[in-house]
Amino acid sequence: MYAYILRRVLYTIPTLIVISILIFLMVRLLPGDVLDVLIGGDITTTEEQRQAAREQLGLVGSYPEQYWRWATGALRGDLGMSLRNAEPVRDILEAALPITLELIFLALLIATAVGIPFGVISAVRRDSAHDYASRVTGLVGVSIPNFWLATLLLLFTSRVFGWVPPLTYVSPLDDPIQNLAQFILPAIALSVFPLAIIMRMVRATMLEVLSQDYVRTARAKGVSWNKVVSRHALRNALIPVVTIIGFEVGVLLGGAAIIEVIFGLPGVGNVLLQAIFSRDYPLIQAATMLIAVTFIVANLLVDILYGVLDPRISQT
Amino acid sequence: MSDNDKVVPESGKGDLTRRELLTRAGQVGAGALAAGALGGVTARAAKAAVDRTAARPPRGGTLNWALEQDPAHIAPFGGILTANHWGKELMYDSLLEWDPKLNIRVALAEKWEVVDPRTVVFTLKRGVRFHNGKELTAADCKYSFDLQANPPPPGSTAVLGQFPAIDRTEVIDKYRLRILLKAPDARLFGYLAWGRYSPMVPEGMYQQVNPGREGIGTGPFRLVTYQPNDRLEFVRWPRFWRQPQPYLNAVNFKILTDEQARIAALRAGAIDGATLSPDSARQFQGNANFKVLSNFTAAFRELQMTYKPGDRKPWHDKRVRQAVNHAINRQEIINRVYSGNGEFSGHVPPGYGPWPLPVKELREKWLKYDLAKARQLMRQAGYANGFEVTMSTFSTPLDFQQVAAVIKSQLARIGIEVKIEAQEPGTFAANNGRGNFEWDLTARGMRGDVDGYLAEFNPSASIYRVWYPEWRPPVKLWRLIGNGRITLDLEKRLPMYKEAQRILLDELIQVPICVVKKFQVVRRRVNNMYVAFSDFNTGIRYVYIK
Repeated sequence: MYAYILRRVLYTIPTLIVISILIFLMVRLLPGDVLDVLIGGDITTTEEQRQAAREQLGLVGSYPEQYWRWATGALRGDLGMSLRNAEPVRDILEAALPITLELIFLALLIATAVGIPFGVISAVRRDSAHDYASRVTGLVGVSIPNFWLATLLLLFTSRVFGWVPPLTYVSPLDDPIQNLAQFILPAIALSVFPLAIIMRMVRATMLEVLSQDYVRTARAKGVSWNKVVSRHALRNALIPVVTIIGFEVGVLLGGAAIIEVIFGLPGVGNVLLQAIFSRDYPLIQAATMLIAVTFIVANLLVDILYGVLDPRISQT
Repeated sequence: MSDNDKVVPESGKGDLTRRELLTRAGQVGAGALAAGALGGVTARAAKAAVDRTAARPPRGGTLNWALEQDPAHIAPFGGILTANHWGKELMYDSLLEWDPKLNIRVALAEKWEVVDPRTVVFTLKRGVRFHNGKELTAADCKYSFDLQANPPPPGSTAVLGQFPAIDRTEVIDKYRLRILLKAPDARLFGYLAWGRYSPMVPEGMYQQVNPGREGIGTGPFRLVTYQPNDRLEFVRWPRFWRQPQPYLNAVNFKILTDEQARIAALRAGAIDGATLSPDSARQFQGNANFKVLSNFTAAFRELQMTYKPGDRKPWHDKRVRQAVNHAINRQEIINRVYSGNGEFSGHVPPGYGPWPLPVKELREKWLKYDLAKARQLMRQAGYANGFEVTMSTFSTPLDFQQVAAVIKSQLARIGIEVKIEAQEPGTFAANNGRGNFEWDLTARGMRGDVDGYLAEFNPSASIYRVWYPEWRPPVKLWRLIGNGRITLDLEKRLPMYKEAQRILLDELIQVPICVVKKFQVVRRRVNNMYVAFSDFNTGIRYVYIK
């Protein structure tokens, strides 16, 4: 098992190096740098002043030089300074990351807490009204863009109840109730897509598992239907669901950006979007790497969990 | 919808209309010393202020306002973004300021004196207190000017093009500061009144606080906290120099970049006001709980053309540019894209004090829609069959693409086939700044001085060499713009800029289109707010809740 984990960890190193190079290059493929974007056609700025400002921001040197500076700095924990506000990128992300992680956690919590039972019920009562309702709901959930749903929720609550989530971010440690009030709508908006996926996945795998011989054997031995479903079928049906949840962490990290913007949450996605618009290279690189690392770590954990759930996998 | 002209915030002492400023400065330019020149005006304004105090607005309450963009930082010097200033404008003041109609008036200065064309002496108000309790002195002003000349991070030296030709400043005594110019520079007063790059801070502030997140100013509100991408919170500064202002106890800014979120927050009462697009603002029209405010801002739309060596483009012929100008039906653009909320604009936008040409003149002469004349000009230039051109514009805000689409259909009538290329704003800005375009449908912004609108047409300007290196402006235009900057006698300066604008409207190296209204929606209880021409939220300084 340990060898399996070590092997999986080692695989991530070249992946991260390749990703870091790609991010570095792709950011620079965007036309213009931060100064072009900010001052654009400002007629008063001379080329000398622009050049001096570029030097002030450290936007000088060849790409390999810049990459080396950034990569070696990142290894030491120095992610550079934001070009927009000269603050350490590390501080900016440290402030933003808990917000995004909380949002994703809540979204996944809702998605699994609702998706798994509904998927099971749908499979167990196949072709019933319950099943059809769940399938239609799943289809709608997959089809609805989360930014549209978020806007709809916001406008609905403001018009009907005269209420919007609290505007000022409060840490869950300071005021859990207000924090929950602030996160509940964005979490619901973000959860709908993974909820639908999980529900459909659970339904499909449950149907497959319920038709297996060992389930019939268990029933023939007199085990109750509820026990067969919860102890025999569900545990096996959850293996692909775990994979999906790991994958969804990465998807939600990207999807959270627009939700954070709509609800005014100062998370990583919000920070990343602003950084992209202003060509804040160090912040884009660090935020994107953070998302990539989170995605890789989540998948790594899934792989490890896979090994735990199905020991045959770690032995191969 | 209610326009701003009903709102005239109490201005306090020292009001000086731009017309009066012209007169005074005219005397100064003729060699007369202007010491105490403002005394009479100050007295009149003081009397007016006393008259107004009879109906003094109530004090108290908190204003919750949504900003549509994060300031990124709130450093007093070198902030490039307009949003930088949104975040800091309530806590800083400069020596001069604009009133809602862009009249220059004294702020932290009590008066100024132009000793000679290169020397200006400012006398400070006494007893002005910074938010740390320290009194404002000339030493603080010198410190501030030194930092303006070389903005430290997070500010950028890229803004130095706005900095007038200040050579150095000298402290005469505790309340008097001498500004020595490298050359006569009429931009100085507008630069100070704009306040965007010229706040006064206490000496040593950059060593005392993190200027990107904190600040010590003399403004009506003291900063409590700035959480990037989230919020800014201010409280009333009880020792503000212009009593009884401010009227509010506190101001909170929430950063809500999504417009639907701002609308929802307004409806739910979570915020008291916000900037909205015209279409969204219309939803609140007639709603008894809200007021819809609007005003023109400096950001006029214009069609910009490049003029590069070896290009030999059709628009290098002046007649083609004139044909384009006359084929554009601006009223149709204003009606179709802006629902009538626009006005014709020349190279200086209407509303920018006394500097722009009269709108009537623009409408009836220079920018008149005349398709027959446009076709005739195209024939004379040898382009009766038209030509193809790529016009780039911003992908957002959407109105740029809509204006581009209308212009495309209008120019098709004279045979010009316009290919529209909508670019992400960053890409567009980069391409525009580097001259990588044929035509750009773009917008100009606020300037501290009228020179900022016309300097690009002076061949000595850096951007001229990027955009129009092959264009030879009439020598007269060159002289007018060049001399305009160094002419301190503002009465002489005014006709120079008017004439320069008329020459530009004949040359049309840039084709101005229109200026449009900005909309802000506030809850009924918010009084005295106005939409500032400068695109700042200056009105918040004067707001009271009732």
